[in-house]
Amino acid sequence: MSKIPIIIFLVLLSFSCADQPSQDDEALKTDSWEEIARKAKGTTVNFMMWQGSPVINDYINNYVVPSVKKEYNIDLNISGGQGPEIVQLVMGEKQADIERGQVDMVWINGETFFQLRKVDGLWGPFVHQLPNAKYINMDDPFINTDFQQPVEGMEAPWSITQFAMVYDSAKIGNPPKTLPQLTEYLRKHPGTFTISNDFTGMTLLKSFLAELGGSPTSLDGPFDEEKYTKLSQQLWKYINAHKKYFWKEGRTFPKEQSKMGQLYANGELLLVYGFSEGGIEEKVLSGLYPESTRGYAWKNGTIKNSNYLGIVYNAPEKAGAMQVIDFLLSPEAQLKKADVNGMNSNTVLNLESLPSDWQEKFKKGTKRRYGPEMIDLENNAIAEPAPEYMIRLYEDFRKQVIEQ
Amino acid sequence: MKDSRPNLGIVLFIAIGVVPFAAAFLYALLYSFGIIGVANTGFTTEFWTSIWASGTFFSSFLYSAAIALVAVIISVGGALWATLKFQKRLQQKFLSFIIYLPLAVPGVVTGFFTFQLFSKGGFFARLSYQMGWITEASQFPDLVNDALAFGIVLSFIAMVMPFFLLLFLNVHKNERIEELSVLARSLGASAKQVTRLIFLPILIKKTWVLIVLYFIFLLGAYEVPLILGQESPQMLSVLIIREIKQYDLSKISEGYVVAVMYTLIVSLAAVLLFLPKKGRYVRPNGVEKEE
Repeated sequence: MSKIPIIIFLVLLSFSCADQPSQDDEALKTDSWEEIARKAKGTTVNFMMWQGSPVINDYINNYVVPSVKKEYNIDLNISGGQGPEIVQLVMGEKQADIERGQVDMVWINGETFFQLRKVDGLWGPFVHQLPNAKYINMDDPFINTDFQQPVEGMEAPWSITQFAMVYDSAKIGNPPKTLPQLTEYLRKHPGTFTISNDFTGMTLLKSFLAELGGSPTSLDGPFDEEKYTKLSQQLWKYINAHKKYFWKEGRTFPKEQSKMGQLYANGELLLVYGFSEGGIEEKVLSGLYPESTRGYAWKNGTIKNSNYLGIVYNAPEKAGAMQVIDFLLSPEAQLKKADVNGMNSNTVLNLESLPSDWQEKFKKGTKRRYGPEMIDLENNAIAEPAPEYMIRLYEDFRKQVIEQ
Repeated sequence: MKDSRPNLGIVLFIAIGVVPFAAAFLYALLYSFGIIGVANTGFTTEFWTSIWASGTFFSSFLYSAAIALVAVIISVGGALWATLKFQKRLQQKFLSFIIYLPLAVPGVVTGFFTFQLFSKGGFFARLSYQMGWITEASQFPDLVNDALAFGIVLSFIAMVMPFFLLLFLNVHKNERIEELSVLARSLGASAKQVTRLIFLPILIKKTWVLIVLYFIFLLGAYEVPLILGQESPQMLSVLIIREIKQYDLSKISEGYVVAVMYTLIVSLAAVLLFLPKKGRYVRPNGVEKEE
């Protein structure tokens, strides 16, 4: 029994011995790239990302991981986790004062960027240090602003995407593009449309809200309580008046977009939506969606935004993470990522700034067969409104629609 | 020399079982009052007031309790009936293997199976379409993500009933219920009397603790209601995770309020149920009597 206090003491001692940072993080913001690359060599970088797509996993595991190992001797470890998991992890580590976190870099969207910025969970600015950042047009408002917040080098854009409506052209001749047209559609095809109670569904509601506001730019600028209250009341009135024509007569709503995708695949839903111009190409090629699936933008506009790579505030290998992010922004990695038979994502690189041989390679890339190209939708692109709109929509969609 | 083994056992139990639970509970309690939490600003009772006022917890608790109760009653009832009717046949090797099989299937898989079978685009809906009973998917009845929680209850039964069946078969054998029943019948008892006065009392009395524990287990189930439940009301664990993972970081504490309330209620129920009952003794015939 006398050994127990010693064991407890040793356990407590091990908790109290927090690891010290392995490198001077601040210096990385001003070091030369050669110096950063030297520090990055031989490191092990932990990358937390969404692993829900086979083509993304294939790109990362079979292309990125071996490439960074070969070129920079970096061991890139992938762990699964998206928005809420990343935020929970960072908040937990911050709470526990952990100086060397489990994760170095993360794949995030504007929602998570907003949350991580709120808890000072990101390290930076670092994007100005990346050699390949010179190929990105930082004056593009869809790149330099995320959820109406200036990015300011705290995250590096990885892909750019537009939200699109998705429908089965074999079953729907003339899909709706406005709220009055949606009314007609719902009456004609009851039970085949719904709103997912997640980021994707709330993004659709933002498009609806902008339409009710009267123009594609009606939600631009800082959050406006009065405007939100007025427009959201109209929106809830519209949805509640129509939800008897929704999937399951509006008594419940799918928890997330992936479930909505399954419902579309098995024919329960005929009109869905999503980012990456609807995510059509991959799902048709994998046999999930019918070949008659097509995509389009809402008349008043659908949200266009970028997704980003960030470095966590307590990343043990910040130099390694910078090297990996720079590789992911290289023309080679971006071209591979744009492959329509693979990840099929739009490059964030400004093609005009690339060397001519790379410009040619990008232009020669295979075009999509089923889904729309982003260029076809960009006339109907609208910017992400301020994050408060999303917070309120989440809260009020539950209170005003789901729980009614 | 004094034997220190029992003490070591208690220390291990406290270190592994009590301390982590108590630490997690304390963490949740502090979080629920805003004392800790990166996005919190200090002590407040607003999260408790908000949850109390919204009524979400209570509707979710009642919904969870109703689902767990229905699932346990049907599972226990079905297992008792199968034990009573088929206990000899169920002792066969092949059949006992079949009963063991569902116990190896994780809850999340059972949830997906149920979804694949009973959704409007699932196996039975397609079969109904092929048979000409329905002409489109929407005509198939709402059996998953439905208000009556049919899919959740069905999955719970598939997960729990085999366990109770095996349990009752073992108790039936160990308590020699068969011999007691033969004896009772030779003394003139009818089949109904044997069931009512021998079979049911012995089986229930020997297993009621497990029955209650399974109710508590189902009350806190997560994967199955996540896959097969509806968005409102939600079962407790789904509600807690939803609140904790919500977009508005300033309201994460509401999830901890729900977790604390749930833990308190379940702990209180467990203490009341399993506390040794003073002032009671058991007669040699097995009947409890107040002193």
